[in-house]
Amino acid sequence: MNHEQAERLLSARIDGERLSSRQAVALEHHLASCAECRAFERGAYRLREAARFEVAPAVPDLVDEVMASVREATPAGLRVVRPARLPRRRLVPRVAPIAAALLVGVLIGSLVVGGPWQRSETGSALAAAQIADGISAAAARLDAYQATFLIDESNLSPDVPERHLTMRVWFHAPERFRLDVVDHTDYPTRTTPTDLRLVVDGSRWYASGPAPCPTAECPQRESVVRNRLPFSTTTSMPTDLVLPISTLTDADRLTVLGRGTVLGRPAVEVEVPFERARPLFPFLSIAGGSIGGDWRPFFPNDRVRIWLDERNWFPLKWAVYPATGAERDAWALRFGLPDEPSLRPVFTVTALEVSTRTPAAGVFRIPASASSQDQGARNVALSDVSGDVGFEPVAPNAVGGLDRYRVVVPTDDTARSLIAYADGLAFVNLGETRTWAGTAPFGPVGLQAEEVPLAGGGVAYYEPSTDEHGRRLSIHAAGTDLYLESNLPRPALLAAAADLPVQGLPMPDAWRVHQIGGTTVERVSLETARSAVPFPVELPRTLPDGFGLASVELVDAGHGNGLTLYFRDLDADAGIGTIRLHLEPAQALPPATSAMQSAVNVGDAHGRYTPDRSEVEWIRSGVYHSLDAPGLELPELVAIAASIGSDG
Amino acid sequence: VNDPDPRTLVRAREGDLGAFEDLVRQFQGDVWRFAYHFTRDRALADDVTQEAFLRAFRFLRTFRGDSKFSSWLFRIARNCAMDQIRARNVYAGRVTPIAGSPVDPQARVELHAALDAVSAEHREPFLLVEVFGLSYQEAADVLGIRVGTIKSRMHRARRAMMDALALEEEAR
Repeated sequence: MNHEQAERLLSARIDGERLSSRQAVALEHHLASCAECRAFERGAYRLREAARFEVAPAVPDLVDEVMASVREATPAGLRVVRPARLPRRRLVPRVAPIAAALLVGVLIGSLVVGGPWQRSETGSALAAAQIADGISAAAARLDAYQATFLIDESNLSPDVPERHLTMRVWFHAPERFRLDVVDHTDYPTRTTPTDLRLVVDGSRWYASGPAPCPTAECPQRESVVRNRLPFSTTTSMPTDLVLPISTLTDADRLTVLGRGTVLGRPAVEVEVPFERARPLFPFLSIAGGSIGGDWRPFFPNDRVRIWLDERNWFPLKWAVYPATGAERDAWALRFGLPDEPSLRPVFTVTALEVSTRTPAAGVFRIPASASSQDQGARNVALSDVSGDVGFEPVAPNAVGGLDRYRVVVPTDDTARSLIAYADGLAFVNLGETRTWAGTAPFGPVGLQAEEVPLAGGGVAYYEPSTDEHGRRLSIHAAGTDLYLESNLPRPALLAAAADLPVQGLPMPDAWRVHQIGGTTVERVSLETARSAVPFPVELPRTLPDGFGLASVELVDAGHGNGLTLYFRDLDADAGIGTIRLHLEPAQALPPATSAMQSAVNVGDAHGRYTPDRSEVEWIRSGVYHSLDAPGLELPELVAIAASIGSDG
Repeated sequence: VNDPDPRTLVRAREGDLGAFEDLVRQFQGDVWRFAYHFTRDRALADDVTQEAFLRAFRFLRTFRGDSKFSSWLFRIARNCAMDQIRARNVYAGRVTPIAGSPVDPQARVELHAALDAVSAEHREPFLLVEVFGLSYQEAADVLGIRVGTIKSRMHRARRAMMDALALEEEAR
C-alpha cells in the first residue's frame, strides 16, 4: 500500500466507513511507520471540529411560511384551466421543457439507479414467449369474430368525471371489419356524444363520428375511401381489438402478471406501457385523427393491464393504470387532471360477449355516401398483371405461410404491382418494380434502415412498424426491386423474405454516398467507420428497451471525418423515433444556435441541452458529441449520453 | 440525520397536510443549514428551504424509498439552491458573516476561505459527510455519483482544506 492509498483509506475510516479486514490490517501496518499519515489524521479531526462548530448558525423557524406555500400549491390551487378540447393526436405528449428541467434533479436519482427502462422482474420469459407465439399462431387461424365490450372512462373533465360507452366489433377474414362505439353518458351541457362507426369491406373503407372542434357540440364527419390498398395502414382495420397481434407479439416487451378468471374463462394477465398498447385503443383516433370524438388523455408510461383468454388469446379486459413519477405528475397538471392513484384504473374495456360466429354479410355494408376518396388500387387478375405493367411479377402462391389473396395495380408510384397475402389476421403486402431509379431503397424504407441478413445469403433493409406502416423490408436484387410490408413478427417477416426467389444485394454506391452541400455522407459498416475516424467509437450502454444500432454514416465536411450513428427500436417504433449520435473531433461546443438552450452535465462533462431539438451536446476527450431523439426527454437523453464512454 | 416515522411519510404521501407539517418541523433545520452552506446567504437559504419543501410536497408520491428520505430531500434542496444561485446570479463562494454566531470571526473567515479553496465538486461531499454526518452511500445518493467518487473526493477535500488552513503543520 502506497501513501496515497493509505491516506484515502484513513479518510474513509475517519468518516466511519467500513474497511475490509485486509484493508484495515494494511492501513494499520502503514500508519505504524508513517508520520505524515498520523499528521493527516490529527489534521482531519481538527478540521472536523472547526467545520462542525462553525457551521451551526441559528436556524430560523420556517414552518408557517412553508405550510402556507404548500397549501397554496395543493392540487386545487394548482389546477390549470383545461382546454376545451384536448389535442387528439398528441397521445404521446411531451413534458414542457421547463417542467422537464425542473424535474431533472428529482428524476436523475432514478436514472442513476438503473434508468427508466429497467425490465420488470415479475413474470417469466417463457410464459411471455408462449403468449407472443400463441397470439401469432391464433392470428393466422382466425376466420371470424364478434364481440361486445363496455368502456368505462374516468376524468374526461371536471364536469364529466365518469363516462360509459359500449363497443361492438365484427371481423371476417381477411379484410372485413366493423367497429361501433355508442356513448351512453349523460352530459351536463349540450355535447355531441362520442358515437363512432368504422366499416372495412376489402377495397372500401368508411368511418363516421364527431370531428374535432373547439366546442362541445361538434359536427358529424364521414370519411369514405374506394379502391383501397390491401391492408392499408392509413385506412386500417384495428384488429388488435380481436387479437393484440401488434401489441403483444414481441415477448421481450411484455410482462406477465399472473393468471385468473375473466368472464368465467381461464385468463392470463399481462402488462405493457400505454405507448405500446395504443392499437388496443383505436377509437381514440380514427382516420388520422379527423374522427374520434372526445377522450381523456393518456401518458405514454401509463400501465395497460390486459387479460387474455388462455385458450384463444382474445383480450377479455384491459385497463389503464396511471404511471407514477414526477414526469407523470407534471403532465397531469398540464392536462388539469385530478390526483389519480396508481392502483385505480382510469380507463377500462371489458368484454361482455365474445364469439367466433361468422357475422352476417349485411354487417359490413357501407352506407351510401356522396363523395369518396380514390386510393387507386385497382383489383386485377394475376394473369393480367404482365400485360398491364410489362413484367412478370414475383408472385409465389404463398409468402410466409399466407395465401395469395388480392392482386392490385396501384395508380400512384408506390409500386407497379402489389400482391397481398393473408391468412386470418396476418398479412404480407409484396410490392415490385423493375424500373427503380430512386437513390434510396424501394418502398416505404429509408436510407437509415437496418441492413439485415436473410437466410440463404442475401441482405434486405428493415424498418420497424410505426403508426403509418407495418414492419417493412426492401430488397434490391438484380433487375428488380421489391418491398414487403406486414404485421407478422420480425423473425417471421425475415423468414418470408428469405423464401422469395430473389437474392438481395447490398445498397449500390449511388444510395450509400450522398453529397449534401459541401458535405459527403457515406453509409458504412461500424467496423469501417471505426477505422476511418481518428477517435475511439464507443456505443451507449444505456438505450431504451428494444433499441439497437440500425446504421452508421461517415460524414466528411472537408475538415476530417465525423460519424453519425442511428439507433432505433428494432421491432416497433412506439413514438421515440430514431436516436441519433453524431461524433467529430472538436475542442469546444459550436456557438449556441437557439435561445432556449441550457447547461447540462453529462457525467463529468459540461454540455448543452436544446429542448426544441431534443438534443444534448458535449465534449469529451477532444470529441464533440451530439445526441438527439425526437421522443425523449432530457433525463433520458442524459442517461444515454452518460453511458457513452464512461467507466460505469 | 434520522429518517421520519414511516407512518408519517405514508400519510404525507397521501396528501395529509398535518403529516407533512411534521416532516417540515423535523427537517427544516437540516434543510436550512444545508441550503445555507450552498448559498452562504441567510435570505437565500430561507427561500431555498421553502422552495425545497414545496417541491418535496409536490413530488412526494414519487419518493419510492430507494434512498433515505433525508437524502431525497437534500437532493431536492441542492437543486433548489443551484436554481436560486443561477437565478440571482449569486456567486456561491461569497462569505457572509452570520450575526450572533459564537465563533471567533477570524476562525470563521478562515474556514470559509478554506471551503472556497476547494472546488464545488469537493466542497459538496465534504459538507454532506463532515457537517451533516451523511454516510458515503447517502452522500452519493444526494449527489448522484458513485460511492468510490465520494471517497476520493473526501480525501482530496480534506487534503486541500488542511493545506489551506495549514492545519497539518500545526498538528506536527
